[in-house]
Amino acid sequence: MWADIKILTVSIVLRVVHAALIELRTLDSRVAKEFERFPEGLSYSIRTGFEGPTLHVLWQDGKLKRVENLPSPVCCLRIKSMPLSFQLFTGQMGMAQAYARHAFTMAGEVADVMRLARLVNLVEAYLFPKIMTRRIMTDVPETEVCFLRAYARIAWGFLTCKYKISQ
Amino acid sequence: MAPYFEFQNAVKLLCGEFSLERISIELEHLGASRPLVLSDAVLNKIGTLEQVTEAMQSEGITAGAAFTDIPVDSSLAVVNKIAAYYREQGCDSIVSVGGGSVIDTAKGVRLVLSQDTDDILSISGVENLTRGKHIPFVVVPTTAGTGSECTGVAVIRNDANGVKMEFLSPFVEPDIAVIDPRMTMGLPPKATASTGMDALVHAIEACTCQQANPLSTAYGTAAIRMIAENVEEATRNGSNKKARFSMALASTMAGIAFSNSMVGAVHAIGHALGGVCHVPHAVAMTILLPHVMRYNLSHCAEAYAALLPWLAGLDTALDTPKEKRAEAAIAFVEELGARLNKICGLPLTLREAGVEKESFAKVAEFAVNDGALIVNPRAASEEQVVEILNAAY
Repeated sequence: MWADIKILTVSIVLRVVHAALIELRTLDSRVAKEFERFPEGLSYSIRTGFEGPTLHVLWQDGKLKRVENLPSPVCCLRIKSMPLSFQLFTGQMGMAQAYARHAFTMAGEVADVMRLARLVNLVEAYLFPKIMTRRIMTDVPETEVCFLRAYARIAWGFLTCKYKISQ
Repeated sequence: MAPYFEFQNAVKLLCGEFSLERISIELEHLGASRPLVLSDAVLNKIGTLEQVTEAMQSEGITAGAAFTDIPVDSSLAVVNKIAAYYREQGCDSIVSVGGGSVIDTAKGVRLVLSQDTDDILSISGVENLTRGKHIPFVVVPTTAGTGSECTGVAVIRNDANGVKMEFLSPFVEPDIAVIDPRMTMGLPPKATASTGMDALVHAIEACTCQQANPLSTAYGTAAIRMIAENVEEATRNGSNKKARFSMALASTMAGIAFSNSMVGAVHAIGHALGGVCHVPHAVAMTILLPHVMRYNLSHCAEAYAALLPWLAGLDTALDTPKEKRAEAAIAFVEELGARLNKICGLPLTLREAGVEKESFAKVAEFAVNDGALIVNPRAASEEQVVEILNAAY
């Protein structure tokens, strides 16, 4: 039961992270700058635990598309277990801490993980309260707009099916 | 203490006199008889390589082939070329003789061969590889600085974009490392000083970055003490065997330390300076260390304070008020650099190293994408990296 809850939570948070990246691109200049530098065709696969939830995203035509599957992603992160995935996606462990604790393997270029880590840090700064982010980051980025705006846009996006899988 | 850490050092160390003469029997034990010997043109010219091959030959193993054109800043293309050469020559093992570039190139070649591929770029990543085919691999370091003989990482330049890429895997570690003091006796004073400072950076960053753990810190602090006691003597008096051997061992211990706890911003910015401005790695490390320590001070004063006894000795640490120890540790590093500068002219600023300020933006862009930055005790943006570079100019 508890294991199922963890899997469901990770699955939901992965969807929210994708949504937050899309919305923060228009709300936060640092996220926008990161996306400006994304090479066309950059893709990430995030796999959690043994056959846990996955997120596959592809940067194409100026959009971060969520796709069903990526046969050969540019950067593939595999989080080593479900407890680690749960910690990482529920604000109990930051990306730097995950790296330091050997929580994931990565196939691809380290530079692409660094881009993702910076983006995840910014997403977490908006989605989680400071009392949590201070424990998982050495320096918590300041938010450029009120976090409620980010939450509102993400909620509206889900209501309007904005983040559905691209074909 | 970190809630979780990993520690690995699977390298067998042959340390001390007549170590070179033991390479052959170790190869035999590993089931090898036809090694590809890798080195660079300088070591070939001055006879260092010959010293190794003669020692091997005297104990029954002759090189199957040799490649001695590894450049200072080796690249992915060189790795792929050597791997093809290894296959052509029918070799069954690798013996690399050289500094950081030669050793990391050899690590790359071994990865390509063991993973049965033609292109190292296709297997880049972090802890993403399976063991693959075992290629017996012996490393003979000829500098006392990189520690690469004992690390699970290879740093190799990608000529396509100038980025120094990191390949991290436990299967990168060599089987055997040979720490023979004869190998560093001929190292010129400036190279002795800069590579010694490189080892010091490895040890300090290993003890203070986010991935530090009790085992890596034990190796790191012991290395710091040996370097602080011996680097000036080894630079001033290169024929001092004891100082040379101590520096070689310290470098290896610092390598074991950082292989298990990673490095930080000094390396991230240093790799970028190497990639963009071609500043030699050890020189970049020497210049950046005190400036990055000052930048990090607000986030790891306690960790720097704990290094003072190892850097300056117990008496000095005890005579220094607790709240001033971190600052004193940084001051020690600065003064050590200044003393080495007096002995051999070691560059202490980026200006002296020939870096143009116009390159700072590009260096910062590369640095924030370097894997070493993620575990630095303090996060750094491109703007903050430029501030560090300005301070080091």
